[in-house]
Amino acid sequence: MALSRREFLKRTAALTAASLVGMNLPLKVDRAQADADRWVRGTCRFCGVGCRVELGIKDGRPVAIRGVPQSRTNMGYLCMKGMLFYQLMRHPDRLTKPLYRESKKEKFREISWEEALSIAAKKFAESIKNHGPDSVAYYGSGQALTEETYLFQKIMRAGLRTNNVEGNPRLCMASAVGGYITSFGADEPIGSYADIEQAFCFFIIGSNMAEAHPVLFRRVMRRKLDNPREVTVINADPRRSPTSRIADIHLQFKPGTDLALLNAMAYVIVEEKLYNEDFLNNYCTFRVGKEKKEVSFEDYKKFISAYTPEKAADICGGNITPDLIRKVARIFATSPATMSLWTMGINQRIRGVWANNLIHNLHLLTGQLCRPGADSFSLTGQPNACGGVREGGGLCHILPGHRPVKVDKLRHEVEDLWGVPRGRIPAKPGYHTIAMFSAVNEGKIKAIWINCTSPAQSLPNCDKYRKGMAREDVFIIVTDIFPTKTTELANLILPTAFHFEKTGVFGCTERRSQLTLKAIDPPGEAKPEVWIAREWALKLAEELNDPVIKKCVEPFLGLEPGYELPKAIWTEYTQKLTAGRDNDLRGATYEVLQQLPDGVQWPAPTKEWALKGGTYKKFVRGLDPLADEHAIDEKPYQFYGPAHKDHKLWVWLRPYKGPAEEPDAEYPFYLSTGRVIDHWHTSSMTGRIKELMRANPYAYIEINPKDAQRLGIKPGDMVLVETRRGKNILPAKVYEGPMEGMVFVYWYDMAEDRMINRVTKDAFDPGSKEPEFKICACRIKRLSGPKPLKPYLVRL
Amino acid sequence: MPIGGFVVHVQPEEKEELLRELSRHPQVEVFGHDEKGHLIVVLETETSEEMEALVEELSRLRGVINFNLAYLHAEDEVKKIEAGEIKPEIRFHRLRPEESS
Ligand code: SF4
Repeated sequence: MALSRREFLKRTAALTAASLVGMNLPLKVDRAQADADRWVRGTCRFCGVGCRVELGIKDGRPVAIRGVPQSRTNMGYLCMKGMLFYQLMRHPDRLTKPLYRESKKEKFREISWEEALSIAAKKFAESIKNHGPDSVAYYGSGQALTEETYLFQKIMRAGLRTNNVEGNPRLCMASAVGGYITSFGADEPIGSYADIEQAFCFFIIGSNMAEAHPVLFRRVMRRKLDNPREVTVINADPRRSPTSRIADIHLQFKPGTDLALLNAMAYVIVEEKLYNEDFLNNYCTFRVGKEKKEVSFEDYKKFISAYTPEKAADICGGNITPDLIRKVARIFATSPATMSLWTMGINQRIRGVWANNLIHNLHLLTGQLCRPGADSFSLTGQPNACGGVREGGGLCHILPGHRPVKVDKLRHEVEDLWGVPRGRIPAKPGYHTIAMFSAVNEGKIKAIWINCTSPAQSLPNCDKYRKGMAREDVFIIVTDIFPTKTTELANLILPTAFHFEKTGVFGCTERRSQLTLKAIDPPGEAKPEVWIAREWALKLAEELNDPVIKKCVEPFLGLEPGYELPKAIWTEYTQKLTAGRDNDLRGATYEVLQQLPDGVQWPAPTKEWALKGGTYKKFVRGLDPLADEHAIDEKPYQFYGPAHKDHKLWVWLRPYKGPAEEPDAEYPFYLSTGRVIDHWHTSSMTGRIKELMRANPYAYIEINPKDAQRLGIKPGDMVLVETRRGKNILPAKVYEGPMEGMVFVYWYDMAEDRMINRVTKDAFDPGSKEPEFKICACRIKRLSGPKPLKPYLVRL
Repeated sequence: MPIGGFVVHVQPEEKEELLRELSRHPQVEVFGHDEKGHLIVVLETETSEEMEALVEELSRLRGVINFNLAYLHAEDEVKKIEAGEIKPEIRFHRLRPEESS
């Protein structure tokens, strides 16, 4: 009997799910029925895990998604964020026409692409003619495709002669980059997700993985459940979260005291001789200070002797005791394989690089590295922060292929590869993010292109920077798919194609490049960024009468933008710019990426190697082709990273440093921010509030029940949050999440009252230039009882 | 009506109780389970927002470790969005990946 369509779809759903765990369901479906006409393969773009997903197309519209079971990233699993594909692709609020206004006081009017590109080129050209090349800037995104970031930065650097190329990964992972380079001599993790299934101790610090990286966390949990006695999950975080609730041990410390905790763990490892002497002798040196001076293990021991567990427990507060530090250090050091995982909680600190170094130190001291399951693994928030921005040249100080701008030889290499005259790329790095928007404030930058991100909302202390963006003498171009807080400040808005409406590569957390193919056309007149950038460059060449600008896009002229154009850009980038570099991607051609279910992990210098999936573990001979190529001796590990000429890993002597702004009598609370997958309601809410929440999802302020009681704050009450920079009014969620003396706010809400970055602090790490979003001081006060709030959306 | 196929990971010792609990939900159908604590669950809701909310709610049930989407079909909803019959609230920024926090 033929099934109803509904029944057919339900069975298909069940069978697909069952196949992931190898369960046989006694269900039949009629092969003649189809849930979709075709399935197009790509990568989910809603976080940095890089789950492989297929989009089902029927009658030209996206109707279904499913995970790719053969993928080594997600094994077919997805999280609920995947649901957004449909909604975003077919949403009536999508930007579909170029919009322009001369003055920010005017209303936008629709214009043609021809006119829009001419204006974009004229404004940049004018600025360069009158104020020099450094008066223009590009601010990109870890959500842009590698082809997009690469092409924009090429035009900016070689065409317009400025290194003012930045992107939002500065805000989320610059400290991780700094940590990897200073500790291991090369950016990006040594290991892979595949280490999860071989690890025995997980040290998760400054990350709410369960919510921010759910599909990866599933792997951690599976590992734990399958080996409940052998595997230990440790979570170190000031806030109780779904991650900490599942952990065997939760270390709850005061925000900003992580450096003390990590040094104290090292103290225990040294004191109890839990270190791996062979590993240290063979592969490590000890370093200190700006001059990177080499010191001895004895010097390190002397340095670390100041961080007794007793002293650290004092600094850390929370539930940290000397015994707990000892216990955790012992498990870390003695487990057969320890894997650390972290994200913004470690990176977004005024000493984020140091915090990264101190995690790496624990791995170096104990030799918990390079073996299966042992790794020091930084997680990424965005889908292409690694691939596009870190590898593709998307920050002001790095050129494609992990080349520092200021190294003459490498800069000239890039100029030669691009066929532009030597000296074309300036030797000086451009403005980093906070400096860039400060330069906007000061009127030094006159024209800025913001692609696929919303700095008006995501910069810390954003009111300060919105003032600059609102200046009439700063021309702002925004490319995006929806109106945002930043389009509110734009002069020219260019509508872009969304994911699966264009082709290109994302590089996820584990050095893995994966291709997403165009499945459907973008709505209205929305265009892929690579087309926009190419056409803009041609107009710039005319405006500035400069053939070198044209030279930058010459290899791409006339190519069809849906596939051929991004492919040509990827080919140039991988074959020329990554050749011989540590992120060698020459084997990862579009053809190879299309053949594999899940893409390629670099180094992948040849197609043969790439077709095997690439390199699961860097630096290990036999596993990493570059480790063999660059070997200097017979040892199994070869640390050939470009930043450490001595081929060693560096253990750093980094002192304790607290946050830039600590609570005091005037502002007695720690304010921290972050994200959650979703939060419709919590069980602690009353029925009335629950209804309110369901109807109006918006940001809350999480307050510890003890603090709430002291201040007379009840669930749903409106609370005033004040810092030295401004104030927010948010409904309260009274909840055993943040520790006492700390409040926590979700950062995504666009309503002015609830936009938390209006009050966060823009102090930044002097090394990585990454701001300390995670910590500042605030005071809170109950304003009134619950109020119905409207979710806020930007409209044009 | 969106239809979603999920693998739910649960603590094996809580499985029986969870199966009873899930059978009380009209939008939930359990197609199978195994001794490792995997449940094969299909949800059917009016809108995808509702499915999101339902997943949130079910994720909080005692013994649920996590809820993984394997398959989702929402043709009707897409058609309705195209026809202007429903307009999903795009909490776009909040759903953007982790940009700064
Ligand atoms: S875990 Fe991240 S990449 Fe995977 S489905 Fe969820 S949002 Fe997408």
